[in-house]
Amino acid sequence: MKYSPGLARLIEALRVLPGVGPKSAQRMAFHLLERNREGGRALARALEEAVANVVHCRRCRMLTDGELCEICAAPRRDAASLCIVESPADVVAVEQSGGYAGRYFVLMGHLSPLDGIGPDQLGFDRLEALLDEGEIREVILATNPTVEGEATAHYIGELVTRRGIRASRIAHGVPVGGELEYVDGGTLAHALAGRQVIA
Amino acid sequence: MTLRRKLLEPAWLLHHRPWSDTSRILEFMTRNRGRVTLFAHGARRPKSPLRPVLRPFAPLLVTWSGRGDGGTLTAAEAAGPGPALGPAALLPGYYLNELLLKLLAREDRHEAVYDAYGVALAELATGAEAAALRRFERMLLDELGYGVDLTRDAASGRPLDAAGYYHFRAGRGVLAVRDAQPGPDCHAGRDLLAVARGDYGPPAAQRAARGIYGAAIAHCLEGRGLASREVMLAMRRRGREA
Repeated sequence: MKYSPGLARLIEALRVLPGVGPKSAQRMAFHLLERNREGGRALARALEEAVANVVHCRRCRMLTDGELCEICAAPRRDAASLCIVESPADVVAVEQSGGYAGRYFVLMGHLSPLDGIGPDQLGFDRLEALLDEGEIREVILATNPTVEGEATAHYIGELVTRRGIRASRIAHGVPVGGELEYVDGGTLAHALAGRQVIA
Repeated sequence: MTLRRKLLEPAWLLHHRPWSDTSRILEFMTRNRGRVTLFAHGARRPKSPLRPVLRPFAPLLVTWSGRGDGGTLTAAEAAGPGPALGPAALLPGYYLNELLLKLLAREDRHEAVYDAYGVALAELATGAEAAALRRFERMLLDELGYGVDLTRDAASGRPLDAAGYYHFRAGRGVLAVRDAQPGPDCHAGRDLLAVARGDYGPPAAQRAARGIYGAAIAHCLEGRGLASREVMLAMRRRGREA
């Protein structure tokens, strides 16, 4: 089956999205053209505007429309604590937990020595400049509990403590509602090592 | 296909990278089948049981089907607790992984290298970074047929004089310095003999070993750089500046 040029272009363009193969792209294209042309127009406008205007926040590298993201611009946020995460999705996850009121720094990845991703690619210059401003009292290292995430946390921890600022690492262990029997050995070992005294 | 299934092969994961939306491409060094690239379908799904298992620097038992290289990983489990590598030992660990990725041919069996890698990780875990790296580099060079003889002058064939000074030229070997004033890339005979004995204790011997094995490895890499080394140097520079 040969599509018309316009339809073929749309199907091909939709395939840039993660998880969208030729079949899904075709379904999406038919849906937009047959059932929701207005939605399609709105999608096109939103995409165009976002690609043109959304940039990285000057302070924390989070995606934002202006120079500063909402969190960095908000005066109510606690400027003394900085939570370091790997990706914008992690900021959203921590925000949704509702347990944190400080600011963030987004690395946009983790140390990956074999791929040549080191301190320069992760924005350590900007991070060090933030630390040197003198407002931050605690840095929470919330990189993923993978080998790469641990290495990243370790090296950032060194930069932080060298400046006399407190560095802490998020705890990892048994998930809430989980059962010990089904938790893997590595996680359980971490949970035991990071046990807390019941006061 | 069942005949081609490889069951519970001892392996170390050297590198992994994302592939499509939920999968990974994995580079393993196995004990019996050398270095293989395998596909792990669904390994990046949030609930994938492979997530906590597929980690570098942990001994694994892997099962795959299909051709050795480019096969599909069907199961992986931890083979014991493995070396407790502290976070500071991870960068040197990645350097070892990159050496293996760039210097070992695919599906070329090197049991001695496999075993030495485990020993090197255990040494890294104790904090003996320099000695662990030098011992591993030397063993790898020997195993690949690029071993360096530090006991004889490559030009004359005579044993090294402990009181003399020598250059190292990759691809040739150790050559006596003819100038009256030994330059910065010269090594004292006694240091080279210490390195040849595997004694990396004296600081000058340690420097000599680093320079010589580094040059020999660069020669084997034929102009390809080592990304992990660049990252390691960038971290050290930053550490010094702060």
